[in-house]
Amino acid sequence: MTQPVLILDNLSVTYTVGAGTFYAVSDVSLEIEPGRVVGIVGETGCGKSTLAKAIPRLLPEPPATIGSGTIIFQGTDLVKVPKRKLPMVRGTGIGMIFQEPLNSLNPAYRVFDQIVESIRIRHYREMGWVKSFQGGPNPFDYSKPPDTTTVAGSLSKAIIPSGAAEEAVRDRLQTRSQYREEVLEYLRLVRINDPETILNLFPHELSGGMRQRIMIAMALSEKPALLIADEPTSALDVTIQAQVLTLMKELIDEVHASILFISHDLGVIAETADEVGVMYAGRIVEYGPVAEVFKDPRHPYTKALLKAAPAHYKSDGPLSSIAGSVPNLSRPPSGCRFHPRCVLARDVCRGVTPPLAPVDPNAPPGGRHIHRSACYFAAEVPGLP
Amino acid sequence: MGRNPGDLFIFIGKRLLQLIPVLIGVIILTFVCTHLKLQGLCNAVYPHASPGTIALCNAKYGAPLLTQFVQYITNLLQGNWGQSTLGVQVYPQIAADLPATIELVLAALFLMIVIGIPLGVIAAQYSGRWADHLVRIFYLSGWATPTYLGAVIAAVFIGPWLGLPTRGEYSTVVPPFHQYTHMSVVDAILAGNFPYTIDAISHLILPATVLAFINMGIATRMTRASMLEVLPLDYVRSARMKGLGEFWVMYKHALRNALITTTTVLGVTAGGLLAGTVVIEEVFDWPGIGQYAYDAIGGGGSTANFDGAIAVVIIFAIAVVIANLIADILYGVLDPRVDWR
Repeated sequence: MTQPVLILDNLSVTYTVGAGTFYAVSDVSLEIEPGRVVGIVGETGCGKSTLAKAIPRLLPEPPATIGSGTIIFQGTDLVKVPKRKLPMVRGTGIGMIFQEPLNSLNPAYRVFDQIVESIRIRHYREMGWVKSFQGGPNPFDYSKPPDTTTVAGSLSKAIIPSGAAEEAVRDRLQTRSQYREEVLEYLRLVRINDPETILNLFPHELSGGMRQRIMIAMALSEKPALLIADEPTSALDVTIQAQVLTLMKELIDEVHASILFISHDLGVIAETADEVGVMYAGRIVEYGPVAEVFKDPRHPYTKALLKAAPAHYKSDGPLSSIAGSVPNLSRPPSGCRFHPRCVLARDVCRGVTPPLAPVDPNAPPGGRHIHRSACYFAAEVPGLP
Repeated sequence: MGRNPGDLFIFIGKRLLQLIPVLIGVIILTFVCTHLKLQGLCNAVYPHASPGTIALCNAKYGAPLLTQFVQYITNLLQGNWGQSTLGVQVYPQIAADLPATIELVLAALFLMIVIGIPLGVIAAQYSGRWADHLVRIFYLSGWATPTYLGAVIAAVFIGPWLGLPTRGEYSTVVPPFHQYTHMSVVDAILAGNFPYTIDAISHLILPATVLAFINMGIATRMTRASMLEVLPLDYVRSARMKGLGEFWVMYKHALRNALITTTTVLGVTAGGLLAGTVVIEEVFDWPGIGQYAYDAIGGGGSTANFDGAIAVVIIFAIAVVIANLIADILYGVLDPRVDWR
């Protein structure tokens, strides 16, 4: 069995603002195996982004505090890594694509300089010129043979340093013109039609979709072992969203990547992820293979969420909504955090937080890819119509 | 989109044209101020002069204001900057003094940039913590120091204590080489005279440090403020996520953008520094234009020198405008989003 790239164990993140404490992420446990895409879905303010940023320890501490739990990335607990060593993990270890492409590129530098910086960081670490995080033999894997029958496959062919080509790649990375070639390859990888021109532009001269493609190219160019995509499409126009999403899906197929995909869009997760965790008020309430979770939700919240999604774009009446509102995370409800809005809630729900337990009581303990739900009455959740 | 390098020349040309009305205004103002109350001046200035000299003097300063003004402007346009009441030509004096002041200001500016800006970065990086407070104490104490006091303390106590010279540009009054530029360090280097280069630098250290220390607060404070604005931005986070160390995140990504504001302010300050060296030059006996200006307005018991005073004001005005122009150009260079038009 392969070692997971990332294991989160009971991770809790709190924000201390003034006298109040916000429990943004509570007891989240999660495993990402190499090459698998794990989606996290939930409504705004449920702690998705906090979770994404907590993993590479990108949250400003303070106000954020990692209260308890561990973030085991390739065998090392990132919670215990001292601050000054964190850069070694970032980039080549954990890469990230952010929500806000408009401001995520430095306005003062040309596209070329920004991508080449990423390539240099990886290059120096590969060469051992600078210290990097020695986690395990799990680099971002491009070794899957590309499907040359698709345009995408033939385009990505050039960047694949398969086996013996590794040495050649290192030799190639010597001069500026050679760096330039590599930058061009990554720009082509993210389907930029005119990379030669784009190279010399400043971020303010590019559209939002373009900038997000460049952010993706930048993250991929470091060949991270784990890529975190924090709502990469939600800040974009709908048409651009579709394009970037298609690109993401193609890239997921092309590169054998371990990805944590955060989104509030159920459709996006359904299309990209292998497994999905549904978050509500800082907790994962349901977890399992995408097909099972979305076809047969075993948590009342997941079910309500799926019912509320405008799945068919047809005019069959008003969209359903979940009664009540998202709890204030500075004073989360006792027990199951969903109980104030839940139709199935009983007294036991107010008392003790239900554990994330396998839905099928006969499931082998400790088995992976098992459908789990944090509900005492998982079996009673009515199926989707 | 994109910028045409030619636009930059048009931009500079436009700005230099704007200099003309500024200069006209400055000349009129200074001229009127200095010449308004000159009745009986000649007798006051030359109490023991012969009637002939007095008559000559009256011929120059006794005429109606407008006539004098037209005369002055005519001379100025012909390249004649006039002469002092004692008959010394203004131009050669200024040509020798101005470079010395520019040298002093550039040295101070250099110190403000290499010390003040990193201090601002540190203050922003550790804002609210002890490093920030230390930096604030440092630049506020500079800001709060009156120039004369700082200069005198440096000249009387700190200089001798550190063994640094406190008077003049060189240890000898006249250096053994030709002064092409009248900038002490540059001249020594041009002459290839190594001991004198060291000598010139050691003479420059104290006045430049005092000037820099007093004005450091502007650089530090502006850098700190704009760094605090830049640090929470998304691209700083992206830079961190790339795996860059904190040093590169701060100085390559954040400071590069924060500098845009600091540069503008420093440009404006640089023009002001030029005019603000009067006291420092006087204390350190620095042969610059500040000292000339001090003498020209009759400081230190010297005779008033009206043409000299006007010339100094003109030079200061030009300096302020050019410093602003340089700041504007740098602004465009630093921020690719600015259009040169």
